[in-house]
Amino acid sequence: MECKPRILVVDDEPQLTRVLRTGLSSHGYEVRVAADGLSALETFGDWHPDLVVTDLAMPNVDGLELCRRLREISTVPILVLSARGEEKTKVEALDLGADDYVTKPFGIDELLARVRAGLRRAKTESSTEPPQTILKAGELLIDLETRLVTVREREVRLTPKEFDLLLHFMRNPGKVLTHRALLAAVWGGDYVEQNEYLRVFVGQLRKKIETDPASPRYILTEPWVGYRFNSDER
Amino acid sequence: MWAYNLLVWKAAVRKQILGYIVAVIVIAAATAVLRVFGGHINPTTVALAFLLIVLFVAAAWGSKPAVLAALVGGVCFNLFFLPPVGTFHIAEPENWIAFLSFLVTAITAGQLSARARRRAEEATAARREIELLFRELQESFEQASQAKALKQSERLKSALLDAVTHDLRTPLTSIKASITTLLDDQRSIRNGQSPTLLDDVGRQEMLEVIDEEADRLDRFIGGMMELARIEAGEMHLRRSWGSIEEIVSAALSRASSLTKSHRVEVELEDDLPAARVDERAVSEVVYSLLDNAAKYSPAGTVIRITATRAGAEEIQMSVEDEGKGINVELRERVFDRFFRSARDGDVSTSRLSGTGMGLAIAKGIVEAHDGKIRIESGQTGKGTRVVFTLPIGDGETPSPSSPEKD
Repeated sequence: MECKPRILVVDDEPQLTRVLRTGLSSHGYEVRVAADGLSALETFGDWHPDLVVTDLAMPNVDGLELCRRLREISTVPILVLSARGEEKTKVEALDLGADDYVTKPFGIDELLARVRAGLRRAKTESSTEPPQTILKAGELLIDLETRLVTVREREVRLTPKEFDLLLHFMRNPGKVLTHRALLAAVWGGDYVEQNEYLRVFVGQLRKKIETDPASPRYILTEPWVGYRFNSDER
Repeated sequence: MWAYNLLVWKAAVRKQILGYIVAVIVIAAATAVLRVFGGHINPTTVALAFLLIVLFVAAAWGSKPAVLAALVGGVCFNLFFLPPVGTFHIAEPENWIAFLSFLVTAITAGQLSARARRRAEEATAARREIELLFRELQESFEQASQAKALKQSERLKSALLDAVTHDLRTPLTSIKASITTLLDDQRSIRNGQSPTLLDDVGRQEMLEVIDEEADRLDRFIGGMMELARIEAGEMHLRRSWGSIEEIVSAALSRASSLTKSHRVEVELEDDLPAARVDERAVSEVVYSLLDNAAKYSPAGTVIRITATRAGAEEIQMSVEDEGKGINVELRERVFDRFFRSARDGDVSTSRLSGTGMGLAIAKGIVEAHDGKIRIESGQTGKGTRVVFTLPIGDGETPSPSSPEKD
């Protein structure tokens, strides 16, 4: 029997951790709770969870610092709980290495979906299979050897930068990618402030791969934060 | 701009020309009048009259018209009043002296008077300029202080809004998560899934969270209303002669669930007088202080409540804990609305389960009784001690036979 995935929940609000413990356990996860960043780091060291769910504002070591310190020692998926209006902190957390966020108040389904996505991503990343030469998302295909991109079996011509951008998206399905992270990954460190640049390229890419660029299916906008590549079938 | 300058210059020139004309006309007129009425008039009188005209012209139009007036005056003086009359010739040497004296005096006096006039004008202009500057300065000061006040009140407003939003959203987050967990469970039951997602204990727990968090929201809203009333000065105390023991024991029993992991010690002085207070309100103060003490000090430590008589007219009460204490510089600010100290010296956004209004309300209640509230270090130098005083009441002594209730 496969052992249960372990989730570490970090929040100083006891009522919320009570609910998350029950809600997550009922879906077959093993849950531990820490009330602040410092005890979270201790538990992390002893217990090796498969995913961390953390609040941002906490005493002692706060959520941001926790993300930073966890990234120094591990690639564990980190899911951040944040309130509306905390966009800046949220982006900061994502840039520090968090993988995703859920905005409070949230329904348990939304949290569970994000948890599943995080665990799935971690699994593919750590798999020992040989690297794929063909990436697939819905009707979108990238052949890495020939650099050929097809949508619904029709070839699409992309510029080299558009290709790199799409490739970066497809290699991080479901993950929130901040403007800064995308610019750094595709254009390099000098361009991290050039959000308009990114917006133009995403626009062009959407025109080429989306059926309806106005309501995109693949490259979703995360307002004020960045983009998320949706690889789910519809 | 140059058009304006031209206009000013033209006006000045026109004024000066008027000065010259007036100088000539007035001297001529004076000469005519003195000739007609004077007959054998004394040359000194004539000289003085002309001097007066020169001074007048100097005061009104400045130095150049005054010089002209002096010269024309000199000519007329010589021609019509110094013998031999009708010629420019002056016969007697003493009249030469008179003529030259008149000329020099007239020109000098004209110059001096014109200079005085210029000085006066300059002084007036300077004063006007200073007044103008002062007004401008005053206006800009007013604007600056208005802007500052506005900015401050806006900053305060947004801080309050943040605090309120946080305090409302935290319980809502727990409620929403609990309810969606229960809904999820319901769905699994409907789909005939076995075993169901939640067991009875889990379901019970979710319902408890919803219940408790709903209460927390209600407490928060109640606190907001109370605070709004206190701030609007609409707090109506229902005073009666109340016993401090009863007030303390009511607060203790209400706080019993909060203080169950602490040791509570009560030290009430013997023979404490009754006080004319709003018993419920004062009990609320003691309750909030107990709540804070329990929240900010570790389990197993002591919370001490004391009440003593302070002087003839006051009762002093205190609640003390053995927690980390509050830094001296924060001891005033903790009474601000929504201020929450992590008691490590910085303003914290941490989720201490309080509403951040307890102390603000306590202060409002104590002050409505004309009492005072302050924060000290605990008696051992550690921990926090909140001390408040209450006046015993109106100077009347309560009579046990006729307890006053209103």
